[in-house]
Amino acid sequence: MHVVYPAVVAALLFSIGVYGVLARRNTILVLMSVELMLNAVNLNLVTFDVWLRDQLHGGQVLTLFVIVIAAAEVGIGLAIVLAVFRNRQSIDLDRLRDLFEPPNSSDPDGSQPAATKVTTGVGPE
Amino acid sequence: MGETVTFWVLAVASVAAALGLVFSRKAVYSALMLGVVMLSLAVLYAVQDAPFLAAVQIIVYTGAVMMLFLFVLMLVGVDSSDSLVETLRGQRFWAFLAGLGFAVLLALGFGNVVFAAPTGLAAVNQAGNVPSLAEAIFTRYVFAFEVTSALLITAALGAMVLAHRERAEAKATQKDLSRARFVAFGETGANPASLPGPGTYARHNAIDMPALLPDGSISQLSVNRHLARHTEELLEERSGELDASETPVAEITEGENSK
Amino acid sequence: MNTITAPAIEYLQLAPLLIVFGAGILGVLVEAFAPRYLRRAMHIPLTLLSLAGAFALVIVQTIKGVPTKPSAMGAVAVDGPTLFIWGTILVLAFISLLLLNDEDHFVPAASAVPGSAEEERALIEGNVHTEVYPLALFAIGGMLLFPASNDLLIMFVALEVMSLPLYLLCGLARRRRLLSQESAMKYFLLGAFSSAFFLYGTALLYGYAGSVDLAKISTALSANVGQDALLFTGAALLGVGLLFKIGAAPFQAWKPDVYQGAPTPVTALMASGTLVAAFGALLRVFWVAIGELDWDWSPIMWGVAILTMVVGAILAITQTDIKRMLAYSSIAHAGFLLVGVVAIGDAKQNATALAAILFYLAVYGIASIGAFAIVTMVRDAGGEAWHLSRWAGLGKRSPKLAGLFAFFLLAFAGIPLTSGFFGKYAVFQAAVAGGAVQLVVVGVVASAVAAFFYVRVIVLMFFNDPAPDGPTVVLPSWGTASVVGFAALATVVLGVFPQPVLDLAQSAAGSLFVR
Repeated sequence: MHVVYPAVVAALLFSIGVYGVLARRNTILVLMSVELMLNAVNLNLVTFDVWLRDQLHGGQVLTLFVIVIAAAEVGIGLAIVLAVFRNRQSIDLDRLRDLFEPPNSSDPDGSQPAATKVTTGVGPE
Repeated sequence: MGETVTFWVLAVASVAAALGLVFSRKAVYSALMLGVVMLSLAVLYAVQDAPFLAAVQIIVYTGAVMMLFLFVLMLVGVDSSDSLVETLRGQRFWAFLAGLGFAVLLALGFGNVVFAAPTGLAAVNQAGNVPSLAEAIFTRYVFAFEVTSALLITAALGAMVLAHRERAEAKATQKDLSRARFVAFGETGANPASLPGPGTYARHNAIDMPALLPDGSISQLSVNRHLARHTEELLEERSGELDASETPVAEITEGENSK
Repeated sequence: MNTITAPAIEYLQLAPLLIVFGAGILGVLVEAFAPRYLRRAMHIPLTLLSLAGAFALVIVQTIKGVPTKPSAMGAVAVDGPTLFIWGTILVLAFISLLLLNDEDHFVPAASAVPGSAEEERALIEGNVHTEVYPLALFAIGGMLLFPASNDLLIMFVALEVMSLPLYLLCGLARRRRLLSQESAMKYFLLGAFSSAFFLYGTALLYGYAGSVDLAKISTALSANVGQDALLFTGAALLGVGLLFKIGAAPFQAWKPDVYQGAPTPVTALMASGTLVAAFGALLRVFWVAIGELDWDWSPIMWGVAILTMVVGAILAITQTDIKRMLAYSSIAHAGFLLVGVVAIGDAKQNATALAAILFYLAVYGIASIGAFAIVTMVRDAGGEAWHLSRWAGLGKRSPKLAGLFAFFLLAFAGIPLTSGFFGKYAVFQAAVAGGAVQLVVVGVVASAVAAFFYVRVIVLMFFNDPAPDGPTVVLPSWGTASVVGFAALATVVLGVFPQPVLDLAQSAAGSLFVR
């Protein structure tokens, strides 16, 4: 089988992942799209490994590392998602815009509204 | 030949699943689509002389990562879905353009590359795929391998920091809980007993079937309110049979130990 | 039955790395087994001593002689530039950690919702997340490994080891929790996105060269023909990943948000350590792996450098938040440093440019930690006073503090008698020698625009009347005071006698990167 076909499939998967990251607003879906991108890279690496006269399995080793690192990354990412969800009751990226541009008000406790704003939402279960 | 057929089937399946991932509105569907992509890639690895990676892919990705995704999805609400209202005008369009442009760029790039025929891994795999991978990991890439442990420790520590709550006071015992229930009963009249179980006296014992009270009416308390669909259907059905005077709902006020 | 020959690991050369990672692991064990009230008292000496020990080992290595070939089976390149970068990062990390352990910048219970009873209780009991020390150590270990990596695999691992703890640390601010968590989320998502690009670039370069070794990629440049598309796409994607980490222009969006939301000591660590590490890695990829291709990539790098300088300098003007302003200033400085990256040429020219970049990184890192240390001291009821209007008239109420801040800003602007002047001078001089005169002109104009803004802040502090309910300046603890003192001293000394450090950078850069 020609090496270009798997490479093109990998490129397609990667591009779909790019679209997903840019278009979706549910944080978990964005994270899934990133995983899709990493999977596409893995496919590419395995393909190149078959194609190249590689003595040391460089591509497969790299794939192995990517799988491990992606797992760690997902662990951290989902922990952050949960922390945000617990405070905001939402994982919508659109709602994460307190850090947009500096608010113009300069009231002494400019921080307080941000902290109390969410607690008015549905209480934690 | 078999390899080629497998490849084309899985290529179509994985790309279709990937499209499903980014386009489906329900987050759970997306997660399942991601599972399909991962599984098809695992088979593709197996076809391409990488049996160990195929196993790892299934164990780590489909086993651990997917479960983590689903777990968090369930935690934040399984019905979470994107609204279709665009807050950034044209976001989808530009994202589509970016993805498409990227794909075209890559495709053009690959089109220009002169690929020699694959050499295959038969020679390297002669000693076995796993031993030769192990040799690479424990010699050339041993330092990266060791450093990865720092990464895993970080991940574990991070999850602990963000999600673990230390119990600041002793856990309420069954005795305390019971006492509290009766105090509540004394004050507000809340039902101190346990709620009726689902499915009792009904035709099914499924978890979403409400229990029937001795008079044949339905106890709404017996079903978790998130699963109440069947209760409503049954209520409508019953309300035809029963007299209007009879209230179909048990008149027990919902206690604290609601399901 | 085939046997594996045991790999040769040069433990002494890798000792600084191993000490930092080892101390991180010990820190985790402290978390697991030590009683709560003892943890802090154990973490502080452990962390600081390990960093000091690693620094001492770097010096020992420098005196013993710089290794001429990569260590750890060719994974880590401990060469002159690496040793200089290690020394810089360790000093920066040491003073950032002084800042980090000094006040309770971190949340008492990260899993509790702000304002909940649970958090109240954690506050009353005086809980602290002492996990930040091992996390910071892991991040520092990653920073040390990132610029030293000799192949793309370990570079990717190092990138993640460096980034993951930082994602977490960003979300742990005690005050303004939501902003902090938001910054962690944004940093994480964008970071993961960019590392996917880095990885795809790695995969394509692997396909091109048949290896992920930087040196082998470099040799493949002359050997392979007909696969240029793989090479160019791969290099471009790799560049995206790296430019994201340094916050260069089209990929700078995360920087202001993350710098603002993160706890200020963590911001200081990121603004100094991460920038140094990422520049080290960028130089290694662009000069070692694809250095022969400089005709192809330098026009793009020109554009990126110009855009970065312009965006950083101009957007800084519109900011009303002190931390965002410093973030944009950091973007502009990344642009100035990129001017040095473009100044590639023959070996002598490379050594000059490299020395200039190394010196610039060191002085900028120190000054920016000093500036962020001062930001931690100006407080309002709700925490640090970020809004610029709150800083009005600070010079009249606490002239010493405002004077020091003004001094750091002048160093950012590159006024003579500050270290920033020699940093900029060295980089621009190297760029002129490398034939990038137009770029230097843009750089000088951008510096002037940025200087305008720094001066505006200084005017605001000294010539405006203070608000009646203005922020209070907390009495600094010994940690913060020594950080500010050290940073100010270093900025003055390097501004008057830069020669010793310049010489050191030159001798470090003289050997260039090993291959």
